[in-house]
Amino acid sequence: MKKRFAALLILLAVPVYAYVNDALSFAHEAAVPYVKKGFSVREDAWGGDLGVKEQQAVTAQLFKGNEYWFALGTEVKGAVVTLHIYDSKGKLAESEAWQKGRFAGARVVPQKTGTYYAIITVEKSPQERTGWAVVYAYK
Amino acid sequence: MIKNIRLIFALAIAAGLAPCGAQAVPESIDLSKFPAAEVEDVVVPVPSEIFAVLDKLGSPNWRGELRESLGKNTGNRAQVALLLGTVIAEGFIAVEAEDPTKVQEIGREVLVLAEAINVRKAVIARSKSITEKADAKDWKAVRREFDGALQDVRGAMQELGDDELAQLVSIGGWLRGTQVLTSIVSKDYSPDGAELLFQPELLTYFTNKLDSLKSTRLGKDQLVAQIRKTLTAIRPLIGKDDGTKISADSVEKINKMTGEMVAAITQSKEA
Repeated sequence: MKKRFAALLILLAVPVYAYVNDALSFAHEAAVPYVKKGFSVREDAWGGDLGVKEQQAVTAQLFKGNEYWFALGTEVKGAVVTLHIYDSKGKLAESEAWQKGRFAGARVVPQKTGTYYAIITVEKSPQERTGWAVVYAYK
Repeated sequence: MIKNIRLIFALAIAAGLAPCGAQAVPESIDLSKFPAAEVEDVVVPVPSEIFAVLDKLGSPNWRGELRESLGKNTGNRAQVALLLGTVIAEGFIAVEAEDPTKVQEIGREVLVLAEAINVRKAVIARSKSITEKADAKDWKAVRREFDGALQDVRGAMQELGDDELAQLVSIGGWLRGTQVLTSIVSKDYSPDGAELLFQPELLTYFTNKLDSLKSTRLGKDQLVAQIRKTLTAIRPLIGKDDGTKISADSVEKINKMTGEMVAAITQSKEA
């Protein structure tokens, strides 16, 4: 399964498997501030692994009227990952985003109900492959 | 004011948080350059994501949307998986209705249905927690437990090699959630409410899954065939990328179709 992920430059929304469990705990850690702000974090998540400078997109169905935070985490110490949200036409849709080493986040207030894409990038990493996981929260 | 801005920046730097504005984030990207254009798997939204918007648009009568009967288990595994999905969706409706008795009944039923498809162990703790949190009227926590129950059931099915059956749980939940969404929007139509139905990738994902079932038994299942047909019929009604509004007529049609499917899944006359 891991090889399968490695072969994909883009992975559209895969369930999180055991090997990204560590990354998932970091993604949840990145989402903690939003729980405190009244957001509900989904139990479902996306995950995979990437080489340095590789990107993946995950697809999300978002609803106008809600506000969302996407939170990305990796278990790899020293890695730098980024996350940005685009609409179905490829336009940047986030209203804010942040990055801190192995964590990143982006906030979206959808102007339309529909499909959005979270683009995940591993900018730097001491490892050849970097596991990642993304969770999202809504309110 | 400037002092405040400086203070915010200083705090941000101290916290090590870098706003991404500091880096060059492309304003647009060419999605077609990403090689896998089609959806393989998707995180299916839970009904409460949609219900949260409906609550902001008006004051739906959630109690009026609850079904009296949760449905009958026929022993057919496909039907049980679909039924489990509708029952979990019912849980989200009962949470909106803030009905602890119904929530507890649903929590118990989730356990019974999970047992019928050999994944009881995965949801014992969730079922117990649903009961306790409903008792405490901690609705946010109950919502989280239903979401967790859905993931735990699907995860356990996947571990047993029943990935396709796990998809049916999601589809059952989506059908019941959409039935309720369309029922509420039909009662007080607004384009904003109807726009919640614009879920093209999700619908494509579900139909692709049903079109590519490897299990011959599931592929030939009459209920699964009916659902496949219904999803295909719903697709043109949920709107287009050009932003065409979803009409009141389309909302009613989708309500009828999803209602018939939920009735077929639950083996009840209540549509």
